[in-house]
Amino acid sequence: MNNSFLRISIWVYLAIFFLYLLGPLVIMSITAFNSSGFPRMSPWECLTFQWFGELFQDQRILNGIKNSLIIGLGTVVLSVAMGLAGALMLTQIWPKLRATYYTIIIAPILIPGVVLGISTLVFWDRINRMLGLGADSFLSNGIFLTVIGQSTFIASYCMLVLVARLQRYDIALTEAALDLGASHAQAFRKILLPFMRPAIASAAVLAFLASFENYNTTTFTFGEYPTLTIELAQKVRYGITPAISALAFIIVALTVFFALLNEAKLKRQKLVAAARKNATVEELAGKIKLPSFFAGNAAAVLVVVFAIATITVVGTATAYDPGQCIADVREQKQLEAEQRIQQLREQREERRKQREAEEAEQGGAQSTPKPSNNSGFGNVFAPNSLGGDESESDDGSSEADPAPSNNSGFGNVFDPNSLQNDD
Amino acid sequence: MPQFLKDFFNRNGTGMGLAILGLVLFWTIGLIILPQLSMLDFSFRPNLPPPEIGGPKDVYTLENYKYLIYGPEGGSQDYNTVDLRVFFRTLVAAVCVTIFNLIICYPIAYYLGQSEGSHIRIFAIMLIIPYWINEILRAFALRIIFGETGVLNTLFMGMGIWDTPFDFIRNDIALYAGLGYAYILLMIFPMYNVIESLDKNQIEAARDLGAPWWRIHWRVVIPYAKPGISSGCTMVFMLSAGALAAPQILGGPSSLWFTQLIYQQFNDNNDWPQGAAYAIVLLVTCILFVLAVMRLFKVNMGDIGK
Repeated sequence: MNNSFLRISIWVYLAIFFLYLLGPLVIMSITAFNSSGFPRMSPWECLTFQWFGELFQDQRILNGIKNSLIIGLGTVVLSVAMGLAGALMLTQIWPKLRATYYTIIIAPILIPGVVLGISTLVFWDRINRMLGLGADSFLSNGIFLTVIGQSTFIASYCMLVLVARLQRYDIALTEAALDLGASHAQAFRKILLPFMRPAIASAAVLAFLASFENYNTTTFTFGEYPTLTIELAQKVRYGITPAISALAFIIVALTVFFALLNEAKLKRQKLVAAARKNATVEELAGKIKLPSFFAGNAAAVLVVVFAIATITVVGTATAYDPGQCIADVREQKQLEAEQRIQQLREQREERRKQREAEEAEQGGAQSTPKPSNNSGFGNVFAPNSLGGDESESDDGSSEADPAPSNNSGFGNVFDPNSLQNDD
Repeated sequence: MPQFLKDFFNRNGTGMGLAILGLVLFWTIGLIILPQLSMLDFSFRPNLPPPEIGGPKDVYTLENYKYLIYGPEGGSQDYNTVDLRVFFRTLVAAVCVTIFNLIICYPIAYYLGQSEGSHIRIFAIMLIIPYWINEILRAFALRIIFGETGVLNTLFMGMGIWDTPFDFIRNDIALYAGLGYAYILLMIFPMYNVIESLDKNQIEAARDLGAPWWRIHWRVVIPYAKPGISSGCTMVFMLSAGALAAPQILGGPSSLWFTQLIYQQFNDNNDWPQGAAYAIVLLVTCILFVLAVMRLFKVNMGDIGK
């Protein structure tokens, strides 16, 4: 196979793949700025920021964010602590039990979240009853249950992150500290914890994100404290509005921003390390010339561009008023609706004409007067009765549509009232 | 005190040792094992109002499991066809989603694992960003796209490929796309981790010996990546069989996911034992299925989660 063909097909595949991955997020973000009441990209109506305002006035969303933050904090503390203990245990557990222990602490990742939620609910409900506590006790509190339920599996994630770093830890460091007279707690706090700090930080971020976006477990345990995810799910299930797109846009923007920031920081560290390594002896002795913050750091440049774009957008949002455009669109929509009504009416008229023509053919001269025809014109001749119908329907449409008072053109000529109408 | 406990406390000190042991025991026994056992026990009990719990009527029964198979007593049908059909449909659909994800993710994982350069880092970030967005919002995004007046319908109708809106949601296409979308990362990363460690010389050698590209994959890369592939598949299968948000948001009105039945038993019917029984059935079936498939492809349990 041709090499360049292979390369092109790889790039096409990558493009399609990332389109599938990122396209939905981009489209969702764009719908947050369309004034259409249903989140959609086309037809594009007006650029608007009203959905953001609506979002921040929604008490349920704000309350959900508050609950999510409380629960996230509790989950981070509990699951990082349990994950660290679990990881320490894994490195020193007696070998016979190791495989069993590992299976038990890794299992919550694979157990469906629904099952975890149910088992937490059922178990603590039973404990609650065994202790003889009422339905409003601490053990049946939504926040407590949610933290417990989420920590069950989030601690496993934390354990995996922490154990990866713990495996590189030299146990001799702790032993040296102990030999020098430190207590076990001191050795843990001053030697092990600083070594583990980067891993603990990433485990905490992971735990918070996992807690913040969890739905399956929380939906059984939240009780009276719905989290943001629960509120969103209820909103999305019972009718979707662009206010949700606005929230999604904020989350996407924050995520991208922090990802870029992190990337810029890492790149910066790498560049500084490289500069130190390549520096000559006198440079090291004197002042080392570090590369400037933006040199060779595309991510840092992007962070700044991103920040400027955000400020611009917020600035525009405060100054911009889409009222005129929205009014225009509404007017246009009204016109379209009227046109459609007109079309429907004409179609109906056409059908009626056909039917009447058929009836006229069948019935011939013995046509009975139709009660529907109250135009005040004689019904003797079928063609005339058609004309009468026309005028009647035109009167109807001009009632619905006040702008053109008389658009019938021909039908009203036969109408006895036409003269008055013209005045 | 047994020797190993003595060693453990000698090594960590009494205070630290107690703290570690306490946390680990709370996690493994208090949060993992006991709740599962409690749910198992609960699933064998009848649904009673709170005052009667522990009373003479509170005896073990198989009723909840019978209900899944035979339906309500005195019902018109011999079997509970509605729930059973939902159950098997869920399993089959989860398998399909897993295979779909495996097929689309393998080339990406191979590409990311075997090529070098700074653009790999950008791709990695682009992969992770969607995963940080809320599960509900991801499903919502797909609903905007697949809706009746959504982007896809507008696009295809504009191009004149079809002229009435195609109902993606009723045909479950939105649901499968959403489930696949939700778990792509869990499929890519285990595979990527394994493929990254594959020595490029092996591929070079196979190429020099005249193997065509598909045979290189079949005989060199895939056997090497088997642990990664199996952990990715296990995770995607378990999570999509247990998914709740995507079916609730993207599922058609007539199609249910088994987790939705469990949810209904808990929240609408208020029949907790019944819901617990359904959850047990789902959990046990999924575990047995995964173990059977792993036996079939000769993968060890220890390879999972590496």
